[in-house]
Parts: sequence; C-alpha cells; structure tokens
Amino acid sequence: MDRILQNFITALRRSGVRISVAETMDALRAAELSGYGDRLLLKDFLSASLAKSMPEKEIFEVCFSRFFALDYITGEDFLLENEGLPPTLQGEAPLTQIFMSGDVGGLAMALRSAGERADIRSIQSWTQKGLFMQRLFQELGLEGLNRDIRTLAEIGGQDAVNQVKALESMRDNLMERVRNLVERQLELYAAQRQYELSEGYIRNARLSALDERDLARIHKIIQRMVKHLKDRYSRRAKAARRGHLDFRKTFRKSITYGGLPFDTHWKSKKIDRPEIVVICDVSRSVSNIVRFFLLILYSLNEVISRIRSFVFCTNLVDVSPLFETHPLPEALAMLRSGTGIPILLGRTDYGGSLLDFRNQYSDCLTKKATVIILGDARNNYAEPHTEVLRMISERCKRLIWLNPETPSLWGSGDSEMKKYLPYCSIARECSTLRQLERVVEYLLRVHNR
Amino acid sequence: MSALDTKFATVEVVRRGLKDVGYIATTQIAHTVYLAYHLGKPVLVEGPAGVGKTELAKAAAVFMGVPLIRLQCYEGLDESKALYEWKYGKQLLYTQLLKDKLDRVIEGETGLAESIEKLHQYDDIFFSPQFLEPRPLLKALQEKDGAVLLVDEVDKSDDEFEAFLLEILSDFQVSIPEIGTIEATSKPFVFLTSNSTRELGEALRRRCLHLYISFPEQALEREIVMTRVPGISERLTRQLVSFIHQVRKLDIKKLPSVSETIDWAKTLVILHAETLDKDMVRDTLNTFLKAQEDIRVTEEKLYALTEHALREAN
Repeated sequence: MDRILQNFITALRRSGVRISVAETMDALRAAELSGYGDRLLLKDFLSASLAKSMPEKEIFEVCFSRFFALDYITGEDFLLENEGLPPTLQGEAPLTQIFMSGDVGGLAMALRSAGERADIRSIQSWTQKGLFMQRLFQELGLEGLNRDIRTLAEIGGQDAVNQVKALESMRDNLMERVRNLVERQLELYAAQRQYELSEGYIRNARLSALDERDLARIHKIIQRMVKHLKDRYSRRAKAARRGHLDFRKTFRKSITYGGLPFDTHWKSKKIDRPEIVVICDVSRSVSNIVRFFLLILYSLNEVISRIRSFVFCTNLVDVSPLFETHPLPEALAMLRSGTGIPILLGRTDYGGSLLDFRNQYSDCLTKKATVIILGDARNNYAEPHTEVLRMISERCKRLIWLNPETPSLWGSGDSEMKKYLPYCSIARECSTLRQLERVVEYLLRVHNR
Repeated sequence: MSALDTKFATVEVVRRGLKDVGYIATTQIAHTVYLAYHLGKPVLVEGPAGVGKTELAKAAAVFMGVPLIRLQCYEGLDESKALYEWKYGKQLLYTQLLKDKLDRVIEGETGLAESIEKLHQYDDIFFSPQFLEPRPLLKALQEKDGAVLLVDEVDKSDDEFEAFLLEILSDFQVSIPEIGTIEATSKPFVFLTSNSTRELGEALRRRCLHLYISFPEQALEREIVMTRVPGISERLTRQLVSFIHQVRKLDIKKLPSVSETIDWAKTLVILHAETLDKDMVRDTLNTFLKAQEDIRVTEEKLYALTEHALREAN
C-alpha cells in the first residue's frame, strides 16, 4: 500500500477522524487517480473520500497542510553558498560531504531516512522531544560532522577558518531544522494520540474521577453510544410497521363490489414505542457523577421520542421541557444550579420525592413504561416510603435502579438501597461508561421486543 | 471509451460540461463529481439551504444525458414508497377475472393435493415483474443507460430508512423475496443531500464521498447570476451580490440562498434597474427574505448596506 497515504491516514485517525478500511481503499484509488502532483486535486479527492462531516473536514484541513508540509524538507534556503571555498579538506563524514557539495536533495533524503530509522512516528509526548532529536542527530551522523569541524579548526589558515564557519552555521541550521521536524511530527502523530488513549480510558474510568473538561468529549462518546445502540435495535420496529395485506378484510369488503376486491385493506402492527421515565438524583452526595447521569438523560432525550425526565433532591420536578428547549451546556448548568426550575437543593429526600412523583406524575406510569431511577439511595435517615416505590414498580413494566456505588456499600449507613431493592426489576452498579453502555443496551433491547 | 467516459475525461471537462448546462461549479465540486464517477460512489452533499445541492444533481443529469430520478425523503418514508410495491389490487383483480381459466386448469384433477400441484406449475405468475410497481430506487436501478438518482434531504427520513439505503448504496442491488435479487443494469450516479437537521449515521457516511458546499464567494456568485440571468449588467450584478453577501453576515433567521439571489436579480432586470437604490431594494426585499423579522432587521440597516454595496462595486 501507498506509504505516504498510509501515514497520512494514521495521522488523521490519531486526530480523531474515524476512517474505515473501505474508506482507506477509496482514498487509495482516489490518490491513484490524482497522483501527488496537483496538490489541490489531491486534497479535494482525499477530503471527499476521508472526511465525512464538517468537524472532520476541519481536522482534515489542518492535518493535510501539516502532513504535506513535512514533505517539503528541501533545503534551498538551507545550505549556505559555498562558492569560493576551496575544498581544502575532503570531509570524511557523509554529512560533511553533503554540506560541502551543496547536495540539497541528498540532505532531504538523509533527513527523511534518518527519521525513518529513528522511528520518529512513534513519538508520543513532548517529553520525548529531546530523545528523538538525539536519535535523529545520531542517525544523521552529526558526530562525524563535528569531528570534521574540529579537524578543520586544527589545520588553521584562512580557508579552513572560513570553512569551519560555514559548516558550523550549516550545522546550527540543521539542528534547528531537526527541532522543527520533531515538533511537527509531534503535532501530527502524538498530540492527538492522547485522543486515542483517552477514549478507551474514559470508557473504563469511574465517572466520578472524570474531569469537567472532558465533558464535551464524553457527551460525544455517549451520543455515539446511544445512537449506535438505538440503530442496532430500531430496525425490528421498522419491520413491524410495514403492513401486510389484510386478506380477510379485503374479501369481506369485496362483497360490495360483487366479489371483486377493488378496495384493499392493510394490516398494520402497532409499534411499541419506548416509553421511558427517568428519575435522577441531583443531590450533593452524587454530585460527582450527576453530570454524567444528566448527560445520559439528555442523550436519551435526543434519540428516544417518548421520555419523561425528572430530577429531585429535596423535592421532585419535571425537566423534560427543559431538555427540549435548551442546548446541553445550558440545560446542565440550570439543573446543577437550580436556576429557572423549582427545585430545592437541600437535604436529599428520597421518600418525599417519591411521594411528589406519585402525587403529581403518576399518570406517566403505564404498563408500557420503563422507570429508571439514578441515585445512591442515601436518604439521610428519613422515611424511605418504600410503599410508593412498590406502587411504581407494580404499575410500570419494569423498574431499573442505577446506583453509582458498588453493591457492597448498598445498605450501609444511610443508604436505603436494601429496602428499595425488592421492588426493582433490576438494580445495577453504574459508575463507568462501560457499565452504562450495558444498561442502555439492555434497555433498548427489551424495548424492542 | 464510452460516451460518458469522454464526458468525465478530466476535471476541466466536467467543470465545463456542468457550466454548459448552467451550473457553475467550484473546483471542489468538479473534483468531487469527477472522483465520484470514477470510483462509482454516491456523493453525500451537505451545506446550508439553497446553495444548489439539489441543483447539482439536476445539472449532472442533464450533463450526462440521463434521466434524473428523485426520491424526496420525509419522516415515515418506507420501502414500499421508496423501492417497490406489489400491485395488490391488480393481483386480486386478475385472480378474480381469471377464475374461469383457473377452473379449467385444475379441471380433471380429482384431489385437492393434485389441484394444488397443478397450480404450482403456474405459481409465480402473480408475483412477476408485471405486478411490480417500481418506486424511485428500483426505477433507478432498472434504467438501462444509467440514471442520476437524487435522494433529497436524506436527513429528513428516519434512521431505519437510512439503514435500508445502505444495501443499495454499496452494492447497487436490491432483493425482492418473490423475484430474487435485482442488480443495476448500469450503476446510477447517486447524490444524497442533507441539511443536517439530524446527524446522519456513520455507516451511511462511510459509503459515500462527502462534499460540503458553502455559500459561494462573491466572484463565483456573480458568475452564477450572470449565467442564470441573461441581460443583467455587470455593474448591477456586482452591486446586488455585494448586497446579498452583507445580508448573509447579518443576524437573521434565514440567510438568502443562491437561488434567491437569482430571483432578486431577475426581479431587478424586469424592473429595468440600472443600479441599486434604496427604495427599489426596500420594495424587493421580500424576494430574498422570507420572514417578517428578517425584513425588519435588514430594513433598519438598508441605507448603510446599499451604500456599502455601491461603494464595493466600483
């Protein structure tokens, strides 16, 4: 496979553009069509076949210019003029020879093959810059050049002094080049490797350990996860919608037309639309994790049409309209600060909130609804009102409790989890994205049954 | 080399060909169309409303000299409307009308099993292509000399339909259980357009080449206006395009599209305008602004905008 293209695709992938094998093949054929001569043509071709959305196009632009700038390690401005420098000494080191002969192409070649040998593409972080520069110098044979310079200086004489000066300045220039090269390689291959690293990391890390800064990224991951899961399970619903000919009804109606079935009738199955009710604890005891709960809530809202969302702390409020009207960051900020919504952020009260739910919103409890409760069940030793949960459990299809604490902590201290447990269809620990993914998967799977 | 191959010989030929049919393409558009033809891949065109996404498909069809088959997507669009449907009424009608014939066919057979055996020899008659109602996608596959298939506003369709499109887009074939797999006689050239009202799936994006069309530069938009509105003076074109570009920078609900620029240019030509002036602009604002709020915002700045346009054009 075309090496340049392969490297370019690696660079793109590390920057966060998702590229499949099929797309790689397309790019390959595109590059064959365009060749590497016409820069603009190549760029448009590759852009069309590799970057498939606006954000990706932006990344592509940056990557393309960086990557193909690397190809231009020509040295027109690089080698000093060595006219008038009589070759008093034939340098022994290959680098000296290149400098002396003014072989621009040779230098570019030397630099590139040194880069290959030093395996510069494996650079991972800026702390390795020094290391890779050293490796490159070594591969280039800087040592030999320095030796030649020293020898020259020892010879003495005007010619030699001039030559030493010229060589030294060329050497400094080269070192600067190498530094730039390493930095650009770092930008291209490594700055974005963090992206790769952290996606796996984020999925497995405890949600409470993740940083606010990662919010946008996590939201993306969650969105993709939810969409992916939804795509996987939504096709069945589709098959159900497509009606078949209702023969019995058609023939019955055909009696009107003397047995000729002019008027066709169709069977249509009812689709079991997901009906989800989410009740989410936003109190301080779960504050670390609550933003992720809210993220998930928000993402679910985007893909599932019939979902009611509630948050509670001391009391319980319906936030479904909020999610529909506000963009994510705003909605999150409002929920967490409590501005614009009538929520009391005082002592957590599970019992009271459950009562609120029963009194005001029990209409959303149908035999088709799945109720999900997100929270740690830490009730500050107040009355848990388990009978309300039991009522909820009896009136809905299933009740799922997601608890950020590990099961061994359930029931310890003021946790009422053990008391609530009997009424839950499922209760799971949910503290990493991966655990969450499993729950969402389960949710969507049972919904499409 | 077929006739089509000559039309797609080089990027320049493509660009000129599109221009001849009235579509001014940027290099990027020409490049992508050229690439799509040579790779045999669908093109997913994205961009704001009214930059000529649909127009591109139409122009490509005229340029290639093949029919344009258009599938307008909307919520709830499904296979029976997009791909094919059995003509159930016709099937039933025929069975009724042919009752006597059928009686005669099974005449002489004594048992039920034998009759059915006999009928089986004719079994697929009622599920043959004569009873098939082809919808746009199937039609596009059946066109003998190829076609341009335009799947318009694919973002408006459901996720399920998007998934269903995948088979057609990657293999150019569909399977009809009663008949078998129907393969494209010659691959249609597929354009999909999207206004990004919904994020499209990765799988769909992977199967397409991607083209983003943004609002054209002033020079390009001038060229478009000059081609589409014969008899317009160069000076007026400069002024009105400059005006439109300023309006696009305003904070308004719906930005004026290229087609609306053309409409406005046509209006001005009919009104025998030589140059932009405030009153005429005020009277014709509604050709490219379609919301009362937008018109109000623009009217407030009308003077400054017109002055600027006049200055810039000189």
